Amino acid sequence: MVLSLWIQAILSGVTNGFVYGLIGLGIAVVFRGARIINAMQGDFALLGGVVAYLLVHNLGWPLPAAFLAAMLSGAVCGMLVERLLIRPTARRQGTDDSYLLVTLGGAFAVSASVLLYFGRDSYVLPGIGGDQSVDVFNAAIRVHALALIVIGTLVVIALRWFYRGTRLGQAMLAASIDPDGAQTIGINVPLVRTLTFGLGGLVGGLAGMLVTPLINLHYEMGLLLTLKGFAAAVLGGLTSPFGAVFGGLVLGLVESLAIVTVSSGYKDVIAMTILILIMIVMPQGLFGRRGRMGG
Amino acid sequence: MTEAADALLKVRNISRHFGGLQVLRHVDFAVPERSITGLIGPNGAGKSTLFNIISGFLTPSEGDIDYAGVRITPLSIQQRSEMGLMRSFQTPQVFPDLTVWENLIVGCHKHGRSGMVEGLLALPVVWRERRAASEAAQRILEDFNLGAVSGRLARELPAGQQRIVELARAVIARPRLLCLDEPSSGLSADEVQDLMATIHRISKTGVTILLVSHDMELISVCERIHALCFGEIIANGTLAEIQAHPDVREAYLGIQ
Amino acid sequence: MSSRPIAVTASRTLTIAAWIAGIAVWAALPWLLGRGSVDILVFAGLYTIAGLGVSFLLGQCGIVSLAQSVFYGIGAYSTAYGTTVLGWPIPACMLAGIVVSGLVAMLVGTPVLRLSGYFLALATLALAIMGHVLFLEWDWLTGGTLGIGGIPHLSLFGFTLNTPFRFYYFIWPCAAVVLWLHYNLLRSRTGIALRAMRDAPSAAKVAGIRVESLRVRTFILSAVLGSFAGSLFAHYVSFVSIDSFGIDRAIGFLLIAVLGGARSISGTVVGALFVTAAPNLLSRLGEIHPLLFALLLIVAVIFLPSGFGGAFADLWRRLGGSLRPTVKDGTP
Repeated sequence: MVLSLWIQAILSGVTNGFVYGLIGLGIAVVFRGARIINAMQGDFALLGGVVAYLLVHNLGWPLPAAFLAAMLSGAVCGMLVERLLIRPTARRQGTDDSYLLVTLGGAFAVSASVLLYFGRDSYVLPGIGGDQSVDVFNAAIRVHALALIVIGTLVVIALRWFYRGTRLGQAMLAASIDPDGAQTIGINVPLVRTLTFGLGGLVGGLAGMLVTPLINLHYEMGLLLTLKGFAAAVLGGLTSPFGAVFGGLVLGLVESLAIVTVSSGYKDVIAMTILILIMIVMPQGLFGRRGRMGG
Repeated sequence: MTEAADALLKVRNISRHFGGLQVLRHVDFAVPERSITGLIGPNGAGKSTLFNIISGFLTPSEGDIDYAGVRITPLSIQQRSEMGLMRSFQTPQVFPDLTVWENLIVGCHKHGRSGMVEGLLALPVVWRERRAASEAAQRILEDFNLGAVSGRLARELPAGQQRIVELARAVIARPRLLCLDEPSSGLSADEVQDLMATIHRISKTGVTILLVSHDMELISVCERIHALCFGEIIANGTLAEIQAHPDVREAYLGIQ
Repeated sequence: MSSRPIAVTASRTLTIAAWIAGIAVWAALPWLLGRGSVDILVFAGLYTIAGLGVSFLLGQCGIVSLAQSVFYGIGAYSTAYGTTVLGWPIPACMLAGIVVSGLVAMLVGTPVLRLSGYFLALATLALAIMGHVLFLEWDWLTGGTLGIGGIPHLSLFGFTLNTPFRFYYFIWPCAAVVLWLHYNLLRSRTGIALRAMRDAPSAAKVAGIRVESLRVRTFILSAVLGSFAGSLFAHYVSFVSIDSFGIDRAIGFLLIAVLGGARSISGTVVGALFVTAAPNLLSRLGEIHPLLFALLLIVAVIFLPSGFGGAFADLWRRLGGSLRPTVKDGTP
């Protein structure tokens, strides 16, 4: 039935869309808090997936515990990145290019480490609800994918509450909009920046453990995820977690429908073309108004 | 308002808004050839916006700019520059990692034609252009008294000298209309005096000058001044006339 | 300019002597080193050419380009396909590769180069991924994962360049010519316009420099270099497959630019030597060189912002000499 093909496409589009959205969300969090595009975001996810995989396969940890560990390792990694990569760059007059190169270096480093340890194979991580799927009009969607969508939505809501309702969230926004002003009213700007990256890493690790059961662990997955996540974030205006998820959905659906009409081998080409088109035609995204676009 | 038939620059009914904010309102004035014309106004009056529109960095929401009898509103910055319309910036825009000498050579860019291919192959035309540029640069160095610093990187110079370099670089390009945007900002009193002398000297070579400033000392070099307030020209005349004008006094004193 | 004739003559003689010594050493190396080492040096020459494209773009325009692997691939596949399938003469194939690369650079560059900073760099990364995927998908042209083999070797003055030894004496003069061309460019009207554009774009526009067009033309130049190097690569190794044209190649080229110092043309050689030698020296430790490159990129960005070339240039300047291709007093 052709209809089921379309429904399958939509379902996978939505699933992928949330994947990209989760990565894009992390990019938006870091940009919102530090005005830096984190090219490592997809590799935070890779790291989270790797940690979860090692804990589950090598140490036999239960899935929920491994997931938590993945998130934590992402957060720690994020904070380390801020201290070891970002801060030294900032101290030496970091330009947009320097931050980008440094985080790209970090991304390549993670990818290379995974290559060193795991080789070029793909690894499978079990997901929530194992391999079970749910039927929707003759199309199937994995239980894990549904869980991903639900958790993704919860994360967006949680972040909204975080930025509006908590002191730390407010401090992060203040520190990014006006670092000097924030410093004078007692906000520890360097600490807040570190925590921003920590939050980005946390979200990245979360994204990783949610994503890897669906797309399998592979040393090259980080960079591609970053680019697609970036596309999602740009579509959403670069500073809005909700926008990033929405952008991710748009990207995922367009990519999915394009695959059905064109060919699956070109999936990444299509996604990359969309990214470039977005940057040229709609750099402010669907929601964003102002902001430092284009670097 | 007034419009001389031999005006080099005619600002016609220029309006500009940013979103809901109306920054310029039906601004209309003319700059006669070979004059030194001034534009004053308090902060936020719209002087920078007007300057950006004249030089091509911004498009007007309404209105036109005529220059040397040509409607230049649709033209790019580079096209205007080729017609002799050049500007300086509020913060002296020198090329920081180039020497003073090289800064001047850049000024000669418009006089050359060689491109990338000629450059790669070091064809004779490149050599000829560099010769011509060097001669021009040598002359300008002397005119502007920059000989002593010609080998220094532009970013190592004090602000006053950077301003002179910026002006020298504009002059080497043989402009017809030179628009100076707050040229005295960041300069000491002595440097402002030097600047005024330099402006006089440039004007004597036949260059028309349009000067934006809030410095009353500097603006006295102008033959005619237009006062801009909240996006509108409220007065024009000599400095004495402007200073006596009731609307101007209200705009300045009212705000101060 | 102060006049110290004796010191000037002395430093001039020293420079000439240094050059002669350097060339002598260069000529002698293949006789002294084993085949493997000469092979590395050949690759260093190839990567100098491709890396210069990235380096020039970064240093003169401030553009981070990760797309060089695509043009390297276009050059390689054009000549591979052209010679093995179409039976065209080698120069025609290489020219075709250059034309295609130039066209792609122009068509893609014109819209994309209006972006700046992050957007632009990530766009070039996106292009690298696209190129890699297309090389894989269009296997009728590229042979996909199987690649193209049997690419004929170059032949010059009756010598077939089928050994590292012979290719060495071909590639380095090529690289030297390319370096010399760029050195010329820097001292020309276009070269100084590039630096002006990089330093203060608004002022450059007022000086009449057509900034957008210049950026695109530099990108095209960079692509041409990548393509040229890729074609030579194909004729050296005689077999090409998509493994050579992926993201790690793009990172390697970028690393050459960053390590060598983007504003230093001769620094590119240092960067290229490093990028080709390091993986080989480290190969016994497993596939560790990607990690090393990544860490080096980080270290170079933080601690060596002008790369080895820049650090060397600083040192040289402090010793009283000058390597800047300055446009001085009418002297050529």
